[in-house]
Amino acid sequence: MAVADFKKYLAENVLNERRPVTYRSLGRALRVHSTLAKQMLYEFHHTENTKKPHSVNATYIITGTQKITGPTTTNGVNANSHHNDDDEIMPSSPYISSSMPNQDAAADQVPISSVLLVREEDLEDAKATFESISTIHVYSLQPTTLQDLNVLTDVGREMLVNHASEDPLQYGKQWGMIQNTNVKRRTGARPPPPTPGPTSTVPAKRPAQSEPPQLSKTETKEEHTQTKPAQRQSTPSTKPADKPAPVNKEKGSLFSSFAKSKPKLKKEESSTPAASGAESVEPSGAEDVLLDDASEEEPEELFPESKKQPPSEIRESRKEREERLKKMMEDDDDEDEEMADAAEPPDEPSAPIDQPPPKQEELKVEATVRGGRRRGRRQVMKKAVKKDSEGYLVTVEEPSWESFSEDEPTPPPPPRKKPVVSAPKGKAGAKAGQGNITSFFGKK
Amino acid sequence: MGDDSSDGEFLRSPSAQQHEPVFRSPSVYNPLDTFRLPPGQERQYQQQYGDMYFLRLAKLKPAVEKVAIDAWEGFSIAGEHARHVDRVLDVRQGELCWVAGTIYMEMPLKPNILEDLMKENFTLAPPPRPTYQDPSHPELTDIMLEDESGRLRLTGSKLASVQLATGVIIAVLGTENANGDFEALDIKVPDLAPQPQRWERDDAPQTSEGSKKGKIALVSGLGITGTSSDNLTLELLADYLLGYTPSSASGHNDESLADASGITRLIIAGNSLGASTIGDVLSLENGVQGKKAAQHKKYGYDASAYNASPITQLDSFLAELLPSIPITLMPGETDPANFSLPQQPIHRAMFPRARAYCAPQPTGEGKAEPGWFDSVTNPWEGDVEGWRFWGSSGQNVDDVLRYLSFADEDGNVSVDGDVEERMRVMEAMLRWRCAVPTAPDTIWSYPFQTDDPFVMQACPHLFFTGNQPRFKTAVIEGGLPLKLNGEDTEMGGTDEDAPLPTVRLVSIPKFKETGELVLVDAGTLEVEVVRFSAFAGKEENQ
Repeated sequence: MAVADFKKYLAENVLNERRPVTYRSLGRALRVHSTLAKQMLYEFHHTENTKKPHSVNATYIITGTQKITGPTTTNGVNANSHHNDDDEIMPSSPYISSSMPNQDAAADQVPISSVLLVREEDLEDAKATFESISTIHVYSLQPTTLQDLNVLTDVGREMLVNHASEDPLQYGKQWGMIQNTNVKRRTGARPPPPTPGPTSTVPAKRPAQSEPPQLSKTETKEEHTQTKPAQRQSTPSTKPADKPAPVNKEKGSLFSSFAKSKPKLKKEESSTPAASGAESVEPSGAEDVLLDDASEEEPEELFPESKKQPPSEIRESRKEREERLKKMMEDDDDEDEEMADAAEPPDEPSAPIDQPPPKQEELKVEATVRGGRRRGRRQVMKKAVKKDSEGYLVTVEEPSWESFSEDEPTPPPPPRKKPVVSAPKGKAGAKAGQGNITSFFGKK
Repeated sequence: MGDDSSDGEFLRSPSAQQHEPVFRSPSVYNPLDTFRLPPGQERQYQQQYGDMYFLRLAKLKPAVEKVAIDAWEGFSIAGEHARHVDRVLDVRQGELCWVAGTIYMEMPLKPNILEDLMKENFTLAPPPRPTYQDPSHPELTDIMLEDESGRLRLTGSKLASVQLATGVIIAVLGTENANGDFEALDIKVPDLAPQPQRWERDDAPQTSEGSKKGKIALVSGLGITGTSSDNLTLELLADYLLGYTPSSASGHNDESLADASGITRLIIAGNSLGASTIGDVLSLENGVQGKKAAQHKKYGYDASAYNASPITQLDSFLAELLPSIPITLMPGETDPANFSLPQQPIHRAMFPRARAYCAPQPTGEGKAEPGWFDSVTNPWEGDVEGWRFWGSSGQNVDDVLRYLSFADEDGNVSVDGDVEERMRVMEAMLRWRCAVPTAPDTIWSYPFQTDDPFVMQACPHLFFTGNQPRFKTAVIEGGLPLKLNGEDTEMGGTDEDAPLPTVRLVSIPKFKETGELVLVDAGTLEVEVVRFSAFAGKEENQ
């Protein structure tokens, strides 16, 4: 038992951190019975105050019967200063033919018992208002007198949050909760999101938060790819497809997350680790964040042992599919983008062209001087329409190599260099890149 | 658990004492679906409300006529025998007769839908009024008796001494005077409906132990607003119900705190959420000549104004209690449910944590087992521990009270008078056999077409009303079903040979204001109160 630890715990919390501790929070923290926790509080209060008076302040709970005639001290917070709530003789009501029944019942009063929370200083005053006291126990300890007893509710709330993972059905006995053998709880239920209050503001933020890293990643990558084409060669072909999306849609976080997840469908599995790293949150990932943010944000569920149940999974996958379908249907304008996407890749592969190290360019210059033609191989994106496992037609872009040979060697490089210059500016770079594409096609 | 005096149990050093788990007594619970509306699209709002009155009259007329026949058969004044007239319009001038019908009260301050329509302020609920009577012009109040044939204005001193409200079915004895008004000499109401036996719908537990020990907790008006200020007493309440607050130690007995483990069920009678959250929105909508309100005025729903913390706090409060105690939750005026009676259960989606204890989604036909956490209608009717409970969140009593003058016969209006008045209204409702008579006139109501559930088919054993200013309880008894003495008497209650139906009336105070929890003994229906509060000491008096 943690009996030995309680002094340490209380010293840390009450004396050092100057936080109030209630018997329930102590009981939860040390996993002890509420009665024991009350005794611990009392013990600590007693020993500390004998060591150094007034170092610890307590509040008490008094239960019992209050005097009927003692409302003078119990007003204010204690709003119930009316004391004649006894059984009343029903005044004879006109309809009643036979109803003067409780003339004798008028004698017996309704017993009123009280549960009163009292500060240490007021303990004696409060005791005086009681006709008979059945129990007194320590409710909480705190370093100084509480101006506002409502502070104690925060302790309770915090406790609920901190111990949200502990299933009350399992631990209740330990705490001294009254057990009920008949409890019916649905096991199939979705694990409830644990903490109420604090989470409420978060949802809005959540998607946004997950956004920036992705963006910056892709963006920096862009810079990389454009400044150092060579490096790109290893991770090239599939990547570009989804690049424009994040850049264009930077603002609409929600939609961008959908949009981003989409290209992946069209991509091959061969997507580079980098790309999938950023995006491979499943297509439904974004949605998950939106719907289930509470549970996601605090992985510590109320009942951790209950895994994700099949139903919700099924629902999710269906949602996913709907999502995809919707995207396919609605995305005419997306199609435009895809054109851009489609357009870009050829451009970038073209970078590899000049790129097969920059030295080649110099070589090429020489070659032109010789009036020779350029030859080589380049990677291009080809579209292929396929049926996927669910029977939908899916356009997949695949990288493939084609060989070429052409004249006019020198002109291309200068325009291509521009994007390199502007690349650091982020978006501008992307735009420039697009302009580039058209020129590229125009030439072709 | 305590081996020595109760103080010593807690105010001592930690002991190595083992704590035996305490088990809560089981709850026998069998709710009725009287007020559940058909789901979704089957709910029609095209019907006329008039049907409700006809339904009510058709249902209660036989009952009240039976009472009237018992009372007035052979009644005669100056040799003239009272004659039963079937329809209101058949009453002849100067002829002693009696007739049954529905009360309709025309009052100066009563909201009038036609007026509202004319003024085009039909989009907002009328502001609540303390009373529909105009105290300076009591003569403006007209009481009329109507049935499907017509209306008859009632007069006479008798009316001043009885409580009446629109929608009540009564029988009146009297004569029509020269003005065409009906001089009422006596009035009869249907009186208590037949009362079921205890354990009529359930099997009584074999042992008497459960019924001996059991208690049912009633609370209303938790008024959670999401601020910390209203939660301290709530927390004390939860502590008590969960058994953390020591109840009577072994030495003490009946006069101390009731043992929480004997509480088998908690019934929350409405207004679990505080009014202020809704009030703010309302005042904003009303645009209280508001400059600020106008500035913020947006079309549609303003998500930024939504504050989820009250409901999440209620949810965690429920989720904390549910592992130990079953809860019946009724919606109230300020709760997120429909406004018109009968209010339908607060949807479980509001309670992400507590809903794990709900009944499983009803699958197909076959009556589902009630959930451990049962979100029910308001009003609500059901059997708890074999007793029939009938309760509402208080709108019915509040509204009937507006029809009555607060001053009693002596003309004095005391603070307690109001509370007593409420008790009398509750009693009257039972005797009217109609617990929400003023729906659909002044309480918004679903337009029932085939059945008026507000008519009480069976008299409950415990009739409770939530959200009242004060706690109050009383016991009433019904008259004998058959009374063959023809005399017109008010106080015939000396017969003791038949088991009279007795009803316990409880008005449940608002917890937020009083901190009071009402405990009803499952064996005797005796009532006691537990009060939770914080002591305002020197600190706050300074």
